[in-house]
Amino acid sequence: MTPPSSASRNAPGTEGRPVCWHFDGEELRAVEGQTVAAALLAAGRRTWRTTGRRGEPRGLFCGMGVCFDCLVRIDGRPNCRACQTPVANGMRVETQHGSGSGEGPA
Amino acid sequence: MIRRRLVIVGAGPAGLSAAIAAAEAGLDPMVIDENPRIGGQIYRQPPPALPPEGGPPLSSAARRGVDLLHRFHQLRARITVLTETGAWGLFPPRRLAVHATRGWDTIEAEQLILAPGAYEYVPPFPGWTLPGVMTPGAAQLMAKTMHVRPGQRVVVAGTGPFLLVVAEQLHRAGLAVLAVVETVRAVEAVAALPRLLGHLGLLGEGLGYLYRLRRAKIPILRGQVVTEARGDGEVREVVIAPCDRDWRPDSSRRRTVMADTLCVGYGFVPRTQLAQLAGCRMRFADELGGWVPEVDEDLETSVPGLRVAGDGGGVAGALVAQEEGTLAGLAAAHHLGRLDAAAFARARKPVLRRLRRLRRFRAGLDALSRVRGGLSALATAETIVCRCEELTRAEVETGLTFGGTDIRTLKVMTRLGMGPCQGCMCWPAAARWIAARTGRSSAEVGPLSVRPPLTPVSLGDLAREPGFADGPAAEVAP
Repeated sequence: MTPPSSASRNAPGTEGRPVCWHFDGEELRAVEGQTVAAALLAAGRRTWRTTGRRGEPRGLFCGMGVCFDCLVRIDGRPNCRACQTPVANGMRVETQHGSGSGEGPA
Repeated sequence: MIRRRLVIVGAGPAGLSAAIAAAEAGLDPMVIDENPRIGGQIYRQPPPALPPEGGPPLSSAARRGVDLLHRFHQLRARITVLTETGAWGLFPPRRLAVHATRGWDTIEAEQLILAPGAYEYVPPFPGWTLPGVMTPGAAQLMAKTMHVRPGQRVVVAGTGPFLLVVAEQLHRAGLAVLAVVETVRAVEAVAALPRLLGHLGLLGEGLGYLYRLRRAKIPILRGQVVTEARGDGEVREVVIAPCDRDWRPDSSRRRTVMADTLCVGYGFVPRTQLAQLAGCRMRFADELGGWVPEVDEDLETSVPGLRVAGDGGGVAGALVAQEEGTLAGLAAAHHLGRLDAAAFARARKPVLRRLRRLRRFRAGLDALSRVRGGLSALATAETIVCRCEELTRAEVETGLTFGGTDIRTLKVMTRLGMGPCQGCMCWPAAARWIAARTGRSSAEVGPLSVRPPLTPVSLGDLAREPGFADGPAAEVAP
């Protein structure tokens, strides 16, 4: 059995390069090595999730992976923590509504 | 399954120090951390293309971080580092379940050191779920490590010296810091001074921050508390009121500040989930941030071969974390036969001496920043108290009325703590209300209940790995 990969999508030595990524279809730029949360704030976004029960906006709160408030869909995968995921070239990030499995607030 | 002699969870000051001590003793430790970059919340460095924090001259804390990372990198050949690797389970006695972007596995450790750190305590108050309200630590990381301004006009509120550090860093990053709102009164701070004189270096660092805030004309409002954040969709206003010694706000004297960002934190809570999953005996220690694992002098828990170092074993700051990490690393090396009894005794003696001195200083700070009951009055009936499940205080109070006065019962009755954070955000505050309401102590109310997976892992991910059939899932069930 192979050990879990320590590699992020960013190949070693490529941190710091400008990256091109998408948020809700809009093309944005960031610096490789920044997290998705940092790249979103840098692009002037503060809300990237709406809650399942009340449809309220959420964004960055604890910034360290504990609170799970900053969840987004990344490349179609829901429940990714924006504060723990490095942004990468070509990444497609979307606002997560509710559980992210398609259904919106009740 | 991976078998290792020594595994360290967490690459902050405690975890890195443990790895350094163990590697210097001749071990080849494995360090895992959920974050893409090592250093922990305090010592994480910016990506290479961005200039390092603030440029010269570095603050003393930043210098300590650079030194520690340098020593770690010198031993890098001996140390396996898995970043972006989260521990989602710990099966007794010392088998970790970890996952990364490309799969998952279990790691069986002969000796295990948990150095998970702590997170900030934010009791619920009206508006605290609005985007723009964040912990001081979140804002600091954005400004210091990511070189991103988390907002334009910011109020920094809560208690403790960390607020001063963050306010100064946000000011340097170009944010307008409107005020630091500190619940502790000036007279109390002055009264604590004699105990803080035991460590002039640290006291000096704190006074340095005060001086720089004063020079930047940033007001420090003492004996005041933020009672509310307001705005439609995100923060526009922050409401501040004077508070009494119990931190109960006097709402008749409240006033409003126009701000787009509120950083709020009342000290820290140890991250104890892994220790709890391992079955470590826990105790309640208010001055250490809540529930902590019981440890002996060499930081071994009630589970043999499992040590806890740094804030995850009781909040005491980065300097204590480094010393504890070193101690845990030395002890693990001793148990694995890399240090004989005499060499171990020689190496640990100065560490224990420095720890005693640092802990005395911390005791002074802890007494000062102890969370007071008045904060429980901030949440109104309509305030969301469980951020994940979006429960209001009124909904939780109903559960309490019907006997939900421990986490398990309350969970079943209301869903409090059932979301992905597993109660990390809501339970410390809810446990305080329950204690106040039922006349029991926090120790009697009990800790969080914890179960794997600690972070969401999809069944699809687990199924994809060939080890799934004989993996931990098959072994948990008796």
